[in-house]
Amino acid sequence: MKTDLGRTRQISHIGGLVLTLLIICFTGSIQLADAADTYEIDTAHSMILFRAKHSGVSYNYGRFNEFTGKLMIDETDISKSTVAFEVKTASVDTANEKRDQHLRSSDFFSAKQFPVITFKSTKVSMKDGKEDMLEITGDLELLGVKKSITVDVEITGKAKGRQGEPLIGFESIFTIKRSEFGMTYGAGAVSDDIRLIVTIEAKGK
Amino acid sequence: MLILKQLFFGLLLPAVVTGGILVFARSVASKEEGESTGKETDISRGWLIAGALSAGYIVGYFGLEGFSTLPFPPRQGIHWLCCLAIIGFIAGCFWHFSLSGRLIAQIVLSIAIPRLLLNSTFKYTWGQLEGIIWWVCLAAAIFIFWNLVQQSFTILPSGASVPFVYFGLSGGTALVLALSGSLRLAQHSGILVALFAVSWIITIALRRDSNWQVFPRGVSPVVALLLAGIWMNGYFYEEVPAVSAILLAISLLLAQVGQIEAIRRRGTRQSALIQIVAIALPVVIAIGIAVARSGLFGENSDY
Repeated sequence: MKTDLGRTRQISHIGGLVLTLLIICFTGSIQLADAADTYEIDTAHSMILFRAKHSGVSYNYGRFNEFTGKLMIDETDISKSTVAFEVKTASVDTANEKRDQHLRSSDFFSAKQFPVITFKSTKVSMKDGKEDMLEITGDLELLGVKKSITVDVEITGKAKGRQGEPLIGFESIFTIKRSEFGMTYGAGAVSDDIRLIVTIEAKGK
Repeated sequence: MLILKQLFFGLLLPAVVTGGILVFARSVASKEEGESTGKETDISRGWLIAGALSAGYIVGYFGLEGFSTLPFPPRQGIHWLCCLAIIGFIAGCFWHFSLSGRLIAQIVLSIAIPRLLLNSTFKYTWGQLEGIIWWVCLAAAIFIFWNLVQQSFTILPSGASVPFVYFGLSGGTALVLALSGSLRLAQHSGILVALFAVSWIITIALRRDSNWQVFPRGVSPVVALLLAGIWMNGYFYEEVPAVSAILLAISLLLAQVGQIEAIRRRGTRQSALIQIVAIALPVVIAIGIAVARSGLFGENSDY
């Protein structure tokens, strides 16, 4: 009789321990999810535009139609957030097929040799203490040349999607020098300074 | 202004450098001809002329690409062209060595160059088996083409016709590349046009007899590797039509028409003319195909 009671107590202790562990794990996972949310770029509502000056006269715009990216945003500690992009160079589009073909050649993006442009963040911080401004430093790899760049990013909005999924929007406008990546062709006709306008809508997973 | 700069660095300066070394090589050869055997003259001229073409190309390369654009290891296919000029020159210096040594160098380089130059294609486009098949085919193609180049130096009857044939071949390549949308690579082929043009002019101006061999065998590594490198870049990294690339690569094969007895009997000038026309035919067709594919006369031809 005594033994049965002991066994029942032992089982209830183990059950309690398991339950406690489950609760810890569950709440822990919730805390983890809260700490770093994963977002994927919604390409239908995002755009990567670039602007170059032609013959020192006018600004010509183009875009990349295919890209993917992942964001890990840690609301509690923004420095733990990460950003990664991959842009397909063959998807360059300037609304002129002949020019796009030229841009895909080794004169510019060399799309067959370097199918993707990548960006991976190395440091994310709040800009001037503002909640909606970030400063992201990362490695931009273009034409096989990896360079560290720092860009200002504005958080343009946060909301819930139709299925209740979290949405977040960003915009960043920055300038790079194409010659720094070995893209030197047509130096007089196409400006060295290329302005990039990256506007992103990302969906939480 | 930009066009003038490109013409100066891409055509004029390489031509002056190569021309200067060629004139020097010819004067050295003239002195040696009186003192030593023909073989020794061929050896010294071999590396000097290989050096002339190599130096001309390298000057043109840096003139067009800029001095800070040769990373090591080379990142882009075009970067390899400068290395090929250097490798070709080094190989050319030792080209008078034994036949077996030459053969080994030819095989090793024919195998290594496609793997190095097409690293991105191996990485991103081809699977393992497909990559191996392409590699074997390209190595064999380079080896055969290299032998065709070597043969062409002796098979074409007139000394001046050799640089003229390569002038036409690299000119055709430049046109095909420009029509296929790669102006940068076309400019590199343009450097070769300038080098062969100046070689042709100097051969005509300085030759004493029509059979003077302007390009000794030692020049073949520079010529074969640079042309093969430009074609591989054009086909695999640009939009050069496959048929055009093949026609350019096999055009030298038609120099063999000079071996036909009926043509050989026609005399040096007529025989050379027939050979040049035979080589020019596939080059012209290759340009025609590139023109048709380019949409040159269609909408958006200018942007």
